[in-house]
Amino acid sequence: MKYTTFNQINNNPLTEPMFFGNPVNVARYDQQKHQIFEKLIEKQISFFWRPEEVDVSKDRVDFQKLSDSEKHIFISNLKYQTLLDSIQGRSPNIAFLPIISIPELETWVETWSFFETIHSRSYTHILRNLFGDPSSIFNDIVENEEIKKRAADISKYYDDLIFATQLWQTLGEGVHTVKGVTHTITMRELKKKLYLCMNSVNALEAIRFYVSFACTFAFAERELMEGNSKIIRLIARDENLHLTSTQHVINLWAKGKDDPEMAEIAEECKEEATEIFLNAVEQEKEWAAFLFQHGSMIGLNKEILCQYVEFIANHRMSAIGLGQPFDVKSNPLPWMNNYLSSDNVQVAPQESEISSYLVGQIDSEVSADDFGDFDL
Amino acid sequence: MVDIKHHKTVQHQPNKSLLETIEVHNIEIQYHCREGYCGACRTKLLKGEVEYKTDPLAFIDDNEILPCCCFPLSSIEIEID
Ligand code: FES
Ligand SMILES: [Fe+2]
Ligand SMILES: [Fe+2]
Repeated sequence: MKYTTFNQINNNPLTEPMFFGNPVNVARYDQQKHQIFEKLIEKQISFFWRPEEVDVSKDRVDFQKLSDSEKHIFISNLKYQTLLDSIQGRSPNIAFLPIISIPELETWVETWSFFETIHSRSYTHILRNLFGDPSSIFNDIVENEEIKKRAADISKYYDDLIFATQLWQTLGEGVHTVKGVTHTITMRELKKKLYLCMNSVNALEAIRFYVSFACTFAFAERELMEGNSKIIRLIARDENLHLTSTQHVINLWAKGKDDPEMAEIAEECKEEATEIFLNAVEQEKEWAAFLFQHGSMIGLNKEILCQYVEFIANHRMSAIGLGQPFDVKSNPLPWMNNYLSSDNVQVAPQESEISSYLVGQIDSEVSADDFGDFDL
Repeated sequence: MVDIKHHKTVQHQPNKSLLETIEVHNIEIQYHCREGYCGACRTKLLKGEVEYKTDPLAFIDDNEILPCCCFPLSSIEIEID
């Protein structure tokens, strides 16, 4: 079906499915098929923030105090997050907007993506403060094998859906040969690609940031890189909301509250969806290993970080009906919650009371050099 | 009263959210946002009724509640996972 920017059919948006119905015409929010998306839009807009409002200047001094292995951890995480937000700033728009059929979901996706672009801009803000000219850091993102591996895995589900949608919108259902390659386009296949893509995005929002968040907040527990930590808290708040939206989409499908065919597909693709999530968990653990290859940082090591990923994964897999495959029962990094709570988000970290951290007692005046060969 | 399966029965504290009541009694419960939009505190409601003062945005199943923003309306039984 050809895409149109203003569908002239006088359809009833309240009976459209979320995806693959008629294209949206009137952007109206007085009535909603799925109210939740309108509520998420309001919440997300209420979170509005600008990176430039956060003073990161003290971080430059702190950064010089970090050991080489800590610098590697800090910069690698920023590169990885830059990659994730580069993808998220465009892909939901390009992949989902052409196939969305209800106005509240369309606007939610646009709002969501817009906030991802704020995240991207904040990395430039952080890096420019640290380096003046951060171009070597950005350039490495497309050369670094560890990052490229992850990029390929994340973008493939989006790219697959986008390409199939383009064929469908120009040529319709059928068998099409493009540049010598044959593609079979059916609505069922398109919906399957959408389902897998949504699961991959859900896994991204659910766990792909958390190794890096944990490192950032572990620095903040030592009163280091606090400007950066403040920005990451704002980002983490947004990411939690994004995750809520993908969980809603997946559950609306699975529970038969939207397109009944999507409920069948959810059943049919459960194993593949589980695979996608578990694969993301594995990659995050590998990322932790890569980060700590030159040595740990105070308060964190690879093992505890991997346990944390499993802990978060349990919670977030069970939210979409995939069970709790891992054996971690209690939160290995309880102090993380303080940084992920909205209560503290506008407060400078040094003003908030965060005391449950295992090395919180260490005198913050001690410099990183004193721990030169401290290994966890 | 709040009966927490596999833990103990505690007295609900007036003016506190269910999450705060649970925390006062040192029972481990997960949270992030404390505002009803992340779902980290998602808990099973086995018996009784709760009300919300802020609209819960996080996904919850029919038998689940968000302790961070709900208040018991009766004696309840819950299961934290
Ligand atoms: S802590 Fe976020 S929903 Fe309860
Ligand atoms: Fe983001
Ligand atoms: Fe996001």
